[in-house]
Amino acid sequence: MADPAHGAKNFGTIRNVVKGLADYYYDLADIDDGKDIGKTRDEVVASFGETVGVKALDRYTLEYTLTGPTPYLLSYVCLELFLPIEQEFIDQVGEDFGTSKENLLYCGGYYISEWDRDKLVVMAKNEHYWDKDHITLKSLNFEAVADGVSGVELFQRGQVATTRLTSEELSTIKSTEWEDYVYLADKTLTTYWFIYNFESRNPEFQAAIQNLNFRKALYTGIDAVTLSAIWEPEDPEFFCRYTLLPEGCMFDENGMDYTDYPGLVDYKNNPPYDAELAREYMDKAIEELCDADGNIIGVTPGTKVDMLPIAEFTSDGKLPIDILYTCGSSETEMKHALLVKEMLTNNLGSENVNVILGFSNISFSDEVWALDNWDLVHDSYGFRYGDPSANLNRITTDGTLNDSEYEVPEFDALVEKANEIYTINERYAAFAEAELWMLDNAMIKPYMTGGGSYRMTRVVPYTTPEGYFGMVSYKFKGAVIQDTPVTKAQHAQLRKEYEEALAELAGK
Amino acid sequence: MRRYYLSKLGQALVTIALVVLVVFTLLRFMPTTGYFTKEEFREMDDVAKNAYLRSIGVLDPTLVQLKNFLVKLSHGDLGRSMTLYPKSQIKDILSDKIKYSVMFNAFSWIVSAFIGMPLGIAMAKNKGGPIDSAGTAYVVAVRSIPSIIIHFFVQVYVSRLFNLPMLFYIDNPRSWILPTISLSLGSIAGYAIWLRRYIVDEENKDYIKFARVKGLSQNYIMVRHVFRNAIVPIAINFPSDFLLLISGSLIIEGLYSIPGMGGLLIKSIQALDNNLVQILVLMFSTLSVFGVFLGDIFVSFVDPRIKLTDSPE
Repeated sequence: MADPAHGAKNFGTIRNVVKGLADYYYDLADIDDGKDIGKTRDEVVASFGETVGVKALDRYTLEYTLTGPTPYLLSYVCLELFLPIEQEFIDQVGEDFGTSKENLLYCGGYYISEWDRDKLVVMAKNEHYWDKDHITLKSLNFEAVADGVSGVELFQRGQVATTRLTSEELSTIKSTEWEDYVYLADKTLTTYWFIYNFESRNPEFQAAIQNLNFRKALYTGIDAVTLSAIWEPEDPEFFCRYTLLPEGCMFDENGMDYTDYPGLVDYKNNPPYDAELAREYMDKAIEELCDADGNIIGVTPGTKVDMLPIAEFTSDGKLPIDILYTCGSSETEMKHALLVKEMLTNNLGSENVNVILGFSNISFSDEVWALDNWDLVHDSYGFRYGDPSANLNRITTDGTLNDSEYEVPEFDALVEKANEIYTINERYAAFAEAELWMLDNAMIKPYMTGGGSYRMTRVVPYTTPEGYFGMVSYKFKGAVIQDTPVTKAQHAQLRKEYEEALAELAGK
Repeated sequence: MRRYYLSKLGQALVTIALVVLVVFTLLRFMPTTGYFTKEEFREMDDVAKNAYLRSIGVLDPTLVQLKNFLVKLSHGDLGRSMTLYPKSQIKDILSDKIKYSVMFNAFSWIVSAFIGMPLGIAMAKNKGGPIDSAGTAYVVAVRSIPSIIIHFFVQVYVSRLFNLPMLFYIDNPRSWILPTISLSLGSIAGYAIWLRRYIVDEENKDYIKFARVKGLSQNYIMVRHVFRNAIVPIAINFPSDFLLLISGSLIIEGLYSIPGMGGLLIKSIQALDNNLVQILVLMFSTLSVFGVFLGDIFVSFVDPRIKLTDSPE
């Protein structure tokens, strides 16, 4: 996996944590690129044992040497990237690794006993599993059901144990006995947010976005609930998120959620949307950005803005400020874009902002990111391990997620300081301070969580291992299946008991 | 005659070579950013992106890739899927999938021909009568109602009515019934309406009227004259239909969870799986071209008046 020839895409997640791994990877990549680094490929590969901090001490013990203290290691090692594999087996199967059930190794509670491509995966109980007594289901069938309607029908006939429902499918079982079995699945760790292009070629937006009041006008002028309703019309508030990092997945030594740290908790619990406040911020921004005639200070009139193939327009250097909102061209994306335009135009004033919609047709990466053809976009990011650094490190001035190209030395310093603290409570407090700085300065606008869907199930909730990181959705140890579907009331009751048990654990 | 076959064969091979070459070249014009999700594109540094692209073999110059493709192909190696089924041997993927599509298309073909053709003949023989009206109503319904609605109806309601499985399972023959029905509905209508049309056309021709005047029986006229002439335009497609049994139905295979070939080409194009696209294009173009070629030959057997050369040898 550490060999670039194997092309592991997510390798960057762990590259800098394990000692020597980055050097090993880049040495091989240089050789593959034809550079002379004074060593041959075989020599570098042969040096793995000495240069990389991974060692199998005995048959059951693996030792990692890290580049530094890593207090979040436990949430980290459950990533599939850390799953060990026997070299002998890899050598034996070569490129065929993972292409059939015979070319895989298993160490969990189940192994794949049947694999019918694009049809069915049957997982059977692993009788050699160390904790096999807690494997309650003898086999698991993962079956391809291409259509949601068929999925619901199969569930109603008792032929599948769980199913998902879209909002449309939900509406078809409204006012029937099945409505009582529908529950809303939990949010995911993914956060959707709006980002701004601080180095835009559109001079009007480039000038405006440097202004704090303008950013706050955008921050308070977009209603997350309305946007969330595109995906979740039944309960849009449920999926709104107003912090950069997700709630419910990082707890300090006292059991306090990271997002409940002072300052952050106010953002978490208070929807920022306020049309009047947005207008106030906009008015203040206009005072600071424009002269008495509505000319935007520092912008030369008549500048041609070439953002083709997305958009092309001429900046007049006057109000309204042109904002190029770029998105994909799916129906949902277009609906989303029209709503954003409507909100900004209404709340900030059509005399103040002119939202231009731009749609990428083929490849967002090629047409938008690569050519820098945007002022405002909405985007989403996952959250890979249980530490604020997982995403806050990525949005620093030099961070990989800083597509906005902002410069935030204050934030960088706060993150750097937090990274050097290894006691959890202090570490979280320091990261919370950094995140708060980003939110106070409206550098990014988080607004929604990812995932979440309506479901019906016969699997009793909270009988399987819970957690957010690694491959939790595939864990079935202890799962209990009941004959009748789980009702809303049963789900709510079990959720309450689960949360009480968590709180009790935290208290201890 | 031999010259005709050789010339047609040559044209067929040139067509296939051109199709493969054009598709191969066009695929290389696709931007490599398509191999990364939005997050991967920004998260991975250039070194990592290059390493990934090299690992799936798209960094080599087009000509080198073409040479590798042809050399491997000449050794019977179809290569490995790049992105849709990473690293899986394409021959394994195809052998896993083709059997299902062939099976259902063959069932559907048999059912369609055995129901559609007699229906078309019956409609023509009873032109304007109740069978014709009922048949026409069926054809109009199948052609005008969006197929997805009909398929859903069959899958959900018919399965409920007759207690049949909603999804396909290879070890449960009862689960084969509904997909076969769904696949056949359209082609039954196709066979019926075209055969009816050709028969009605033929029946109005002078030679048929003359045969009738001569006192030949209706059945004799129908079998010896009308049907033989009417089947020609349909028969020309038989070889293509037979060869393309391997191409699955996107909607029906999805609906009944049949892991066949349906949509494989579309999915592989969307996934920029060049290796898989090339093999599928090569396979489908070869079968299509030879289907047409064999159609010409087949039709000359069905109707001996049709000559494939200007002058007899």
